[in-house]
Amino acid sequence: MFEKHISRQLAAYLDDQLKPAKAERAEAHLTKCVRCRTGCEEVRTGMAAIGELPLVEAPETIWFSIQASLADERPRRRWNLKIAALVASLLLLALSGIIFPRVARPARWIETGAGSRAIITIGNIGSVEVGPNTRVRVVTDRPNEHRLALAKGEIIAKISAPPRLFFVETASGTAVDLGCEYTLHTDERGDGLLRVTKGWVSFDWKGIESLVPAGASCRTMPEAGPGIPYFDDAPEKLRQALNVFGAGKSADDSLGTILVEARVRDTLTLWHLLSRVQGADRARVFDRMVALTPLPAGVSREKALRLDPQTLQHWREELAWTW
Amino acid sequence: MSSIVIKSGVAVCALAALAFGEGFTFSIGGPAAAQDFVAKTAAFAFRTEGCADPASAQINGTAEGLVNGSRRSLPLKVTKMSKPGVYAVFQNWSGEGAWVVNLKGTCGTEIAGAIVPLGTKGFIRESSKFFARPATDAEINESLKTLAQGGGK
Repeated sequence: MFEKHISRQLAAYLDDQLKPAKAERAEAHLTKCVRCRTGCEEVRTGMAAIGELPLVEAPETIWFSIQASLADERPRRRWNLKIAALVASLLLLALSGIIFPRVARPARWIETGAGSRAIITIGNIGSVEVGPNTRVRVVTDRPNEHRLALAKGEIIAKISAPPRLFFVETASGTAVDLGCEYTLHTDERGDGLLRVTKGWVSFDWKGIESLVPAGASCRTMPEAGPGIPYFDDAPEKLRQALNVFGAGKSADDSLGTILVEARVRDTLTLWHLLSRVQGADRARVFDRMVALTPLPAGVSREKALRLDPQTLQHWREELAWTW
Repeated sequence: MSSIVIKSGVAVCALAALAFGEGFTFSIGGPAAAQDFVAKTAAFAFRTEGCADPASAQINGTAEGLVNGSRRSLPLKVTKMSKPGVYAVFQNWSGEGAWVVNLKGTCGTEIAGAIVPLGTKGFIRESSKFFARPATDAEINESLKTLAQGGGK
């Protein structure tokens, strides 16, 4: 922890040149030290002022004098020039991030109050509306990756981009945009709800994935990741049984209710259930799915029951035409 | 006699093939069924079925509406998706009144048609109708009338 002032690190801090751990310590120090905060503002102002200075070409006479100096001390100067050129090249490469990639300074948290909202522009691919009592920060903001971290509260994301460019991390998993609009609500423990209004969202946590299409929702739970998606117009009994099933209580009764209440459209839920149950229960889920909608060509009972990835993906793509 | 029996048998088989064979038709789904982010904001997606060469199918359609008692008809905005035979329909009709999408397609010599009603929450699967020919004006008007009266939503 810094006890000394950090005036010598201010320029590097403002230019994102500090390593993450040091940057965090600097940030923490700035929240407590008025002197360094004042210094930081001065440096920031100075850097901005330099940026505003007009570019001026050096007069030709300067080059003549440099040439003259080179001619007088040519052998040593040539060697020194070579070293200087090498150093300059290395410096240029370093500054451009090629050999020493810049490490992004951890961004500050955005926190809204009870009566406030905020809008975060996500590159040129969309925006995120931050609801009241929400704490969120921008983790990464690059052309090929935009990532937020949502600690608590609610955001409404509207993204128009190819899939897998926009991510939102929570305590119970990561929402991966596949071209969508959705609302994501979470508390600090990771209990939350993902509701998709357009497109399709994947919610991942430690290898567990839930795919949530428009018109469907999915609960998220701490230390358990994404729950099983369900359509918002699914029968009430099915949704209640899913809550009980997800909580690990009366699993057998709740599974029975889910299977009985499921409509053709609820094969969204059943498809996800396949990989969340074992043995005889998995067979029950499979049989109910087949009773609701014919098995597509290329999907066999044997492969589906052993959760063959290609089989499951093909089946999901076909089922999506019934959702 | 035996030739009559053979000819009858062939006729029966042909009729059976017509009855149970998979003809050219459409199936519809939500935008996510298109498996293409371009369809994100589409009203719905649809695909051709029973077409030997889906990429060569000719597809067109109109949005048919009943707004304040007046009939409206607009050319449909249909976009091909990355997978052959899969399309997305984007809304270019107003939210006012009752609207259905009238789809028409040809695959070789086969023709398919569909009427897809649109409700407040998107396309209405249960009220959608599919034909082995283009839908008639009477069928379109009937769907609009039902929709306008609150049926099928």
